[in-house]
Amino acid sequence: MTETGTVVERHDIVVIGGGPAGLAAALGARRAGIDDVLLIERDRVLGGILNQCIHDGFGLFLYKETISGPEYAERLAEDAAREGVIFHTGAMVLDLSPDRVLRVNAADGYRLVRAGAVILAMGCRERTRDMIGIPGTRPAGIFTAGSAQNMVNLHNLKIGREAVILGSGDVGLIMARRLTFEGIKVRGVFEILPWPSGLERNVRQCLQDFGIPLELSSTVVDIRGRDRVSSVIVARVDGSSRPIPGSEREIACDTLLFSVGLIPENELSKRAGVVLSPLTGGAVVDETLMTGVPGVFSCGNVLHIHDVADWASFEGFEAGRRAAEFVRGRRSGAETVEVRVGENIRYVLPQIVRRGASGVTLNFRVRRPMRSVAVEVREAASDRILTRVKLYRLIPSEMRQIRIPTSVEDALEIVAHE
Amino acid sequence: MNERLTCVLCPIGCLIETVRRGDDLEVRGNECPKGVDFAVQEILHPKRNLSASVPLKGTASRMVSVRLSQSVPRDLIFPILDAIAVLRPEAPVRRGQILIADVLGSGADVVATRTIKP
Repeated sequence: MTETGTVVERHDIVVIGGGPAGLAAALGARRAGIDDVLLIERDRVLGGILNQCIHDGFGLFLYKETISGPEYAERLAEDAAREGVIFHTGAMVLDLSPDRVLRVNAADGYRLVRAGAVILAMGCRERTRDMIGIPGTRPAGIFTAGSAQNMVNLHNLKIGREAVILGSGDVGLIMARRLTFEGIKVRGVFEILPWPSGLERNVRQCLQDFGIPLELSSTVVDIRGRDRVSSVIVARVDGSSRPIPGSEREIACDTLLFSVGLIPENELSKRAGVVLSPLTGGAVVDETLMTGVPGVFSCGNVLHIHDVADWASFEGFEAGRRAAEFVRGRRSGAETVEVRVGENIRYVLPQIVRRGASGVTLNFRVRRPMRSVAVEVREAASDRILTRVKLYRLIPSEMRQIRIPTSVEDALEIVAHE
Repeated sequence: MNERLTCVLCPIGCLIETVRRGDDLEVRGNECPKGVDFAVQEILHPKRNLSASVPLKGTASRMVSVRLSQSVPRDLIFPILDAIAVLRPEAPVRRGQILIADVLGSGADVVATRTIKP
């Protein structure tokens, strides 16, 4: 795959994306002794979404203190620079082939990059109004929570006067507080599920502190306004998330924010032939974070949506270390077994494990809030329990981990029951 | 006034119910005595950090993000935000640079959370 006249570079490991997962992946690869690690970031600055997350609460596990997103980004980027990671910022990967050739567009021209291993760390994007099918007019004043965060925090824009937020994801909750700080009245946060989608501390510190109502089992059923949003119609929903006729109510506002979920951004992964999971929206990986395409690894929000930046970073470090193993040809065992999602489990990651692997840690989320829960990993065929933990409480917004101490020989299933 | 909160001191995460009568707080649902301390702190003397973003001096939208060096009583959030709102830091700015020392006598400094090169 060569194109006449095109520059071809070669690097041992190429990381796509310079957010926390990508920076950590590059560091992980360097620390595993790989000299030639290139990180490609399409923005002019490193750090990804952390740059607009100016709130405090990051880094408790990685840096043992709580700092803001921009500080976290700068520290991680400084570590990566000091430890010899090569950066191409303002460069966009246009294509990735199954044999690990990247087509890159940058200010200084188009080039092909051949990689010994590739680490996918492109992050995620927000679900939009169109994706959840809210009817109504199409006036100005409708934003995703993250784009509002970008405008307010990085561009000093005043996005409105009175806002309604649909969805209780963490970005929406954080923005409810941020808008309040900017003098914008937040009329309420509406969540279609019977429980909040974001972390409890955010419900408390971003909504309750400021008397912002959180209405569960509710949604926006209509948007009104011609040039600018003038009001929204909200309604309560039944157990099947259908609006209950007669429960509608009009709320005057000029701004509507959507915080209705994040989707791993896997356009490039698909180009490379990476198989995606319908449960996570990210790649199917084994316990080394390698996708179905040999030498292509995945970590951070492009793999599955994380609720804490530190988890994305730790996953990045691991992906870097594992990619280094691959580059050095120190990878053994190709035969894999499945890890199946059982009762009350929304997803589990990794989805496959190499036969014989031991000390494997599974990440999982539950489907609904649960109390006094036993989580078990068992062999699917024999029902033999490999590990079992008792947890006091589990909520879908918190990802949890369970470690399998023994080696894995057959297909597994993970279940949670009260 | 009744308030419910989840204790965050350990993984059990007790659902605590509180009833406030003036400076007295009735606490229920805690499985250990620490839950009482947690509820008293959180309901009667809550502390918070805060963050904001202000434009660099002489610019409309080159932003410097800021936060407090430590948490402050929640009642100080809006007075401190008012003090931050008029800040116009001059480049260069160093991450961790104190922009307002001991803001409103709270003991907390307003610090920059981003580096702005000259």
